[in-house]
Amino acid sequence: MISLLELTKTYGRGADAVIVLDRLNFEVGTGEIFAVTGPSGAGKSTLAQCINLLERPTSGSVVVNGEDLSSLPEKRLRAARRRIGTVFQSASLLSRRTASENIALPLEYLGVTPGEIRARVGELIDRVGLGPKAHSYPFQLSGGQAQRVGIARALALRPSILLADEATSGLDPDTTSSVVELLKQLRTDLDLTVVFITHEMDTVRQIADSVARLERGRIVETGRLVDLLTDHGSPLGRALQPRRGFAAADDGAATWYVTYDSTDVPGDWIQRVSADLAVPVHLLGASVETVHGINTGSATLGIAAASDDAVRAVLARYGLSGTPDVRREPGPGGAPVSPVRSGAVPALEGAA
Amino acid sequence: MSAVGVSSVPIGSIYVPRADVPVAELPALLLPAYGETVLMVGVVMVVVLAVGTPLGLLLHNVAPGGLFERPALHAVLGWLISVGRSLPFLILMASIVPFTRFITGTNIGIAAAVVPMSLAGIAFFTRIVENALRSVPPSIVRVARASGGSNLQIMRSAQFGEAVPAVLGGLTIQVIAMIEYSAIAGTIGAGGIGYVAVTYGYQRFDNTVMLATILILVATVAFVQVAGDRLVRWVTPQKRLQRA
Ligand SMILES: Nc1ncnc2c1ncn2[C@@H]1O[C@H](COP(=O)(O)OP(=O)(O)OP(=O)(O)O)[C@@H](O)[C@H]1O
Ligand SMILES: [Mg+2]
Repeated sequence: MISLLELTKTYGRGADAVIVLDRLNFEVGTGEIFAVTGPSGAGKSTLAQCINLLERPTSGSVVVNGEDLSSLPEKRLRAARRRIGTVFQSASLLSRRTASENIALPLEYLGVTPGEIRARVGELIDRVGLGPKAHSYPFQLSGGQAQRVGIARALALRPSILLADEATSGLDPDTTSSVVELLKQLRTDLDLTVVFITHEMDTVRQIADSVARLERGRIVETGRLVDLLTDHGSPLGRALQPRRGFAAADDGAATWYVTYDSTDVPGDWIQRVSADLAVPVHLLGASVETVHGINTGSATLGIAAASDDAVRAVLARYGLSGTPDVRREPGPGGAPVSPVRSGAVPALEGAA
Repeated sequence: MSAVGVSSVPIGSIYVPRADVPVAELPALLLPAYGETVLMVGVVMVVVLAVGTPLGLLLHNVAPGGLFERPALHAVLGWLISVGRSLPFLILMASIVPFTRFITGTNIGIAAAVVPMSLAGIAFFTRIVENALRSVPPSIVRVARASGGSNLQIMRSAQFGEAVPAVLGGLTIQVIAMIEYSAIAGTIGAGGIGYVAVTYGYQRFDNTVMLATILILVATVAFVQVAGDRLVRWVTPQKRLQRA
């Protein structure tokens, strides 16, 4: 378990001081995956460095399993760091060491005997599914394989906390999914507490139990993923929704953007809405998925109904929330569906 | 150019005709001198590596953003090294004669040449190491710190370990520079190939010897360069394995 109490980080002094983290409070339970999202420059990496104690907080504390680590003297800080495994962006492997030798690094630093190192590294290599690549050098590994080496290295000292800062950024969607699955598996098997920092909302939906959004050093919203996804009043919830393009409505029909607003939306809701309104309902675009066993998502509909209020009322009957007249493409100006845009999710998917 | 050409050497106002050293006698003249050059450069390189490597790591890590920032120490060290680097070697050598005599008890010969060469070489190599360390991404150091490494462990495995190819590349340049310095030191009686080149080739207009020393130096430098390139390739997994 990890808790942050009034964690504050300031860079610079006097008039030039910048508050990068401003009195953060949150708690991540054992076995929980806690995602932190936020725009570039929000302070996510700074937060990561305060949690793994590479940077000392200016004030406030980082409490791991009941012990306040942030106030330890430098010597003991190094020991404390070993309780927190960190997975870095693009793995950051030593280029002149093989996968195995990279994983062995924290064990060497600790002074573990070569025999024990060999045994432990073998275990870890298997754990992350890299057996055949044990003696490959980083340049011979794919992004996903390199990231698995990074994960194995982070686990080498059996930490109780795993911290990932942009661990999947720059990986393609399939590789991201496999890394995410590995982390979830490890969380279950090793009862890890995971803090997962990313600006990719698609990844958050895949991995998180809880989410917090960091903006200009403050947590502006936080909650369980399922609750956020089904709460249409939540900007973070809306930001988390997958967003796709959609077809144009027929002449005379209005375009409606509909989100799942409850945990028990019936599977045949389109038919039912159409029947209740007694007009055809055209499906123009949709993205529905199951998160923690609950259907969530959004759809864009073309409805030639007489009154907006009637449509709203019928949608509400099935646990949906609708907004009429969405612009052609969801985007920064796209009226009702323009939540806080975080790091351009669709654009990043294709990159790398 | 004939191997036994005749030339005159001015001695005072009288011109004494002299023959060039016959080709057959060149090995007897040049081999011991070559051995002296190798010895001089070898001793200097040992000193330079032993002192310059830790000094480069220190300089890099007392700098802002280093593992143990000490801005004042960084400024002083940086200034000292810059001074050492900016003096032309001949001037450095001449200006520290009292120091050289204090250390070695003499100011001529190989021992005396090793002192200024080491000083100049340390300044040179410290910068090479510092520069190589600067090219190691900061994320690598973060990884090492997060892995629980002590400063010494981080410097050894993460910083220096990653910088090894760049350091060896720089080392190649350094050895070549040291061969050049040894020739300059030769002019003040340090012995070696440079001494032969000056006393025979320059002062006695012995073209045979001059040509032979040039060939030897060119071949040596070429050999050092090839060896250095191979070494760099060998310590860089990507280069080593992709060629095979
Ligand atoms: N060592 C430092 N000194 C001064 N300012 C810093 C330092 N490190 C970070 N900052 C500032 O703190 C703010 C937050 O940086 P941080 O790297 O934590 O952002 P981030 O949320 O991780 O962004 P990104 O998504 O781009 O990685 C930025 O404005 C940055 O300029
Ligand atoms: Mg960051």
